[in-house]
Amino acid sequence: MRKPDGKIVLLGDMNVGKTSLLQRYMERRFPDTVSTVGGAFYLKQWRSFNISIWDTAGREQFHGLGSMYCRGAAAVILTYDVNHPQSLLELEDRFLGLTETANNDCLFAIVGNKVDLALERATEGGEKEGEASGKAGSCVSSKVPRQVQPEDAMALYKKILKHKMLDEREMPAAERMCFETSAKTGYNVDLLFETLFDLVVPMISRQRAEEPSQIVDIASCKAPTRTRSGCCT
Amino acid sequence: MDHPVDMMNIKAFTLVSAVERELLTGDKEHISIECVECCGRNLYVGTNDCFIYHFLLEEKAMPTGTTSFTATKQLHRHLGFKKPVNELCAASALNRLLVLCDNSITLVNMLNLEPVPSGARIKGATTFAVNENPVNGDPFCVEVCIISVKRRTVQMFLVYEDRVQIVKEVSTPEQPLAVAVDGYFLCLALTTQYIILNYSTGLSQDLFPYCSEEKPPIVKRIGRQEFLLAGPGGLGMFATVAGISQRAPVHWSENVIGAAVCFPYVIALDDEFITVHSMLDQQQKQTLPFKEGHILQDFEGRVIVATSKGVYILVPLPLEKQIQDLLASRRVEEALVLAKGARRNIPKEKFQVMYRRILQQAGFIQFAQLQFLEAKELFRSSQLDVRELISLYPFLLPTSSSFTRCHPPLHEYADLNQLTQGDQEKMAKCKRFLMSYLNEVRSTEVANGYKEDIDTALLKLYAEADHDSLLDLLVTENFCLLTDSAAWLEKHKKYFALGLLYHYNKQDASAVQLWVNIVNGDIQDSTRSDLYEYIVDFLTYCLDQELVWAHADWLLQKSEEIGVQVFTKRPLDEQQQTSFNPDDIIRCLKKYPKALVKYLEHLVIDRRLQKEEYHTHLATLYLEEVLRQRVATDSKDIEATETQVKLRRLLQKSDSYRVHLLKEKIQDAGLPMESAILHGKLGEHEKALHILVHEMGDFSAAEDYCLWGSEGQDTACRQHLFHTLLAMYLRAGPSAHELTVAAVDLLNHHAREFDATQVLQLLPDTWSVQLLCPFLTGAMRDSIHARRTTQVALGLAKSENLIYMYDKMKLKGSAVRLSEKKLCQLCQNPFGEPVFVRYPNGGLVHTHCAASRHTTPSSPSPGTRT
Ligand SMILES: Nc1nc2c(ncn2[C@@H]2O[C@H](COP(=O)(O)OP(=O)(O)OP(=O)(O)O)[C@@H](O)[C@H]2O)c(=O)[nH]1
Ligand SMILES: [Mg+2]
Repeated sequence: MRKPDGKIVLLGDMNVGKTSLLQRYMERRFPDTVSTVGGAFYLKQWRSFNISIWDTAGREQFHGLGSMYCRGAAAVILTYDVNHPQSLLELEDRFLGLTETANNDCLFAIVGNKVDLALERATEGGEKEGEASGKAGSCVSSKVPRQVQPEDAMALYKKILKHKMLDEREMPAAERMCFETSAKTGYNVDLLFETLFDLVVPMISRQRAEEPSQIVDIASCKAPTRTRSGCCT
Repeated sequence: MDHPVDMMNIKAFTLVSAVERELLTGDKEHISIECVECCGRNLYVGTNDCFIYHFLLEEKAMPTGTTSFTATKQLHRHLGFKKPVNELCAASALNRLLVLCDNSITLVNMLNLEPVPSGARIKGATTFAVNENPVNGDPFCVEVCIISVKRRTVQMFLVYEDRVQIVKEVSTPEQPLAVAVDGYFLCLALTTQYIILNYSTGLSQDLFPYCSEEKPPIVKRIGRQEFLLAGPGGLGMFATVAGISQRAPVHWSENVIGAAVCFPYVIALDDEFITVHSMLDQQQKQTLPFKEGHILQDFEGRVIVATSKGVYILVPLPLEKQIQDLLASRRVEEALVLAKGARRNIPKEKFQVMYRRILQQAGFIQFAQLQFLEAKELFRSSQLDVRELISLYPFLLPTSSSFTRCHPPLHEYADLNQLTQGDQEKMAKCKRFLMSYLNEVRSTEVANGYKEDIDTALLKLYAEADHDSLLDLLVTENFCLLTDSAAWLEKHKKYFALGLLYHYNKQDASAVQLWVNIVNGDIQDSTRSDLYEYIVDFLTYCLDQELVWAHADWLLQKSEEIGVQVFTKRPLDEQQQTSFNPDDIIRCLKKYPKALVKYLEHLVIDRRLQKEEYHTHLATLYLEEVLRQRVATDSKDIEATETQVKLRRLLQKSDSYRVHLLKEKIQDAGLPMESAILHGKLGEHEKALHILVHEMGDFSAAEDYCLWGSEGQDTACRQHLFHTLLAMYLRAGPSAHELTVAAVDLLNHHAREFDATQVLQLLPDTWSVQLLCPFLTGAMRDSIHARRTTQVALGLAKSENLIYMYDKMKLKGSAVRLSEKKLCQLCQNPFGEPVFVRYPNGGLVHTHCAASRHTTPSSPSPGTRT
């Protein structure tokens, strides 16, 4: 088994499309999915690095596993459904807490999926954002006015940085880390993952250079590395 | 990611009975099995009535390919309590069995089951686990972690042959229920969650929450630094000592009671089934119905399940067999995952052979499903003997090939017809694939040893498909077998290609004959529309003279101009050494006048041969042509024809033809220009110019004549010609106005070609200075220029002279003293008289010595004596 160099975790309520996004990116298709049980992961080779991408289960039952999956994550993708405002609220209420175990410099991306189902806002009807969803004529009738605006996601992003006490100037801008995607049409999916890979890769190399002996430290009892959970009690 | 269970099934294990009911409990209903331990051939069973049984297991391979076990009872012993035996664990290095009964761990002898005399024991334990990755280096000591009867406490012990020693006690945040150990790390199931606890540092890390009240937790070490845990919703979760998950979870049923690992499988037990999941792809692979099981454990790779009454063994099928089964049901990906996973369980050499074969089999499965990309990758990575693939295609392997398919076969297909079931479209796809594949591998090392087979097959495919690469194949290095390929090309009417094949096999005569037949229309092949030119080109570079001669007539009959190129365009270096005799060629070309002219032009103009015959012959041919054209057009067209231009140029430039002969032929032919040239050649300039000026009135031709007629000669000659022409113009007197103008023009245009003083004397006095202004300025400038250059030359000569004088003075400057001691530098004798020769370097010699010595005086170096 190849050992991954870095980890990216997808979090979000059930049914928002985490599994679909990952399959769209990795397998270039949009198959029928079943609600994820437990979790699954893919290995993606990016440049010379192996990045593991974990798909987690949104179901309440598996909520407790999230912390462990997030441990040591270099980036977390918080996913919601643009047509369900509740799914965005859940990110803050339920899922943000799971990311405590992630790396200190963990990146956050906020992804509103299923934009293909949403009508463009009347005020910005002419924007090109909608091009991916506009193709299938039959879909038009089923479209509903979108429920969550990009600004809402960006507000959450800033809130997260504040909450994590991360310096907003050192982190990527909200505009860059908030995406609207469609796993169905593929809209913005590559952009999402590849933006993250490109941000994560330098972090991995930096880590390698800084702490080459980290693994040894844990095993040899003499010089324990203080973990986050250890120092916050 | 979940797949329908029945589709994914594989037979990974068979369940066989190990200990018959009669051997244990017999028909005593109240007695039940509480725990088992297996160590090598020793099997121990603990019961609820406080007995330990010891059996020896004997493994027998059955002819059906399965294994059976028989257990023979060695001994059983009552421990002396009224409590069940809860847990057993063997420490073979100590020859001890650790027995947990009535909250205390006692040590008994592995063979006779007697308690150790020291009575050493660990008290107050509810459960325990042995560290299989011990941190203490002593081989005669095992590390044991117990969950204490004290609340929220775990303790670490070192257990020796006959004593125990506590090492550490750690308290836990909640009551622990199950434990597994790896190094310093404890993986603990607490009441509401799993944690990793480093007992050395006391640091802990939460894994995930789990409600142990609903379902009993499972904690199982599965390998270095990794544990398997029962998770929510029937998940089997993997976690490392670092608190992270490196494998996706497997999905069990909600009510698992035990789990074990037998690489690469995770086995789980619930009240109805034993399920088998692969750790490699997390999929469920096998389900075995098994009722009332309550123990599932693995012991060094041996998996044991037990009900309360009987003990069974899960015998793994050999991995190779499993893989073959998967391949047989076309589950390529799974087979490959399993094969790769088996790498560390099989010796390297054996593995490589096996793995290669599996890749090849997988390749053929993909191939049969027309998954060519995948197939190609598999063939490539497994270095498939390409002939295995070629042999699927009827008639592609050469008849002489010694190839036989490997045994056992890599696939089940007789040939492509069977594989595609006659579907033409599929067949074509397969052929296209083979084409690209062979083309890729033919230059790699995969092809070594059977390049003939590959190239011949490729040729056949190309020919059949009318593929352009056929020609590329044949004109570059290839190993196509002649007889096989030739027959095939003929069958597919690829005659041009067949010619190339012959040529490649050094049978140029056959090649050319075949192509000639195509051009003649005797056989049909439209590969090249310019085949005639191709043949000409081919023969031009062909070293075989006989072959060229054999086809020369045919070539020339087709086209004299192009055909003659076989003689005119031959590479030069070749012409030197081989003896294509020009006279032979000329003889051959007699029948082809146009070709002959071209050939003579080639000799005379391109190769500049100075042989008189060629020049005269060519001039004569030109002349005849000119005369013929004259007759044809029947007019005194003044415009010179192309041939006429060529004739004139030859007459002017060449000095090798027989002038008189041509003069004779030209007489009365009305070719004044040509006769002028011939006069010129004979040095009869006056006559020549006369014709030009007076017969033809062509003044510019006359000027030209002066120029080319003196080409390569000295200026005097040129001046002479110009003066002659000028004189001719002036002689006519002022009445011939035209000539006067010509004279003025001549002077003004060619001022430099005249001697001005002579000219001035010739000119009539009436001419104005204005009229001759250009001439006069030119003449002046010339004369001034001449004067100045002469002055410079004079100056330079003077200074050179001075330098020599200086040298001379220097040499003469000092007196030479001649005494008896001075010897001649050449003969080494003294000087007898006051006469000597002195060299510039100061050496003195006899006059007669100097005379007899012509070489430089420095050679018998005068310096050697001094
Ligand atoms: N129209 C549309 N449907 C989507 C899109 N993405 C996912 N879906 C559908 O939404 C449903 C849920 O998708 P999943 O990818 O299984 O959702 P999930 O987030 O993985 O859910 P859990 O595994 O239960 O956490 C499926 O029926 C998908 O087909 C999208 O971009 N557009
Ligand atoms: Mg999912």
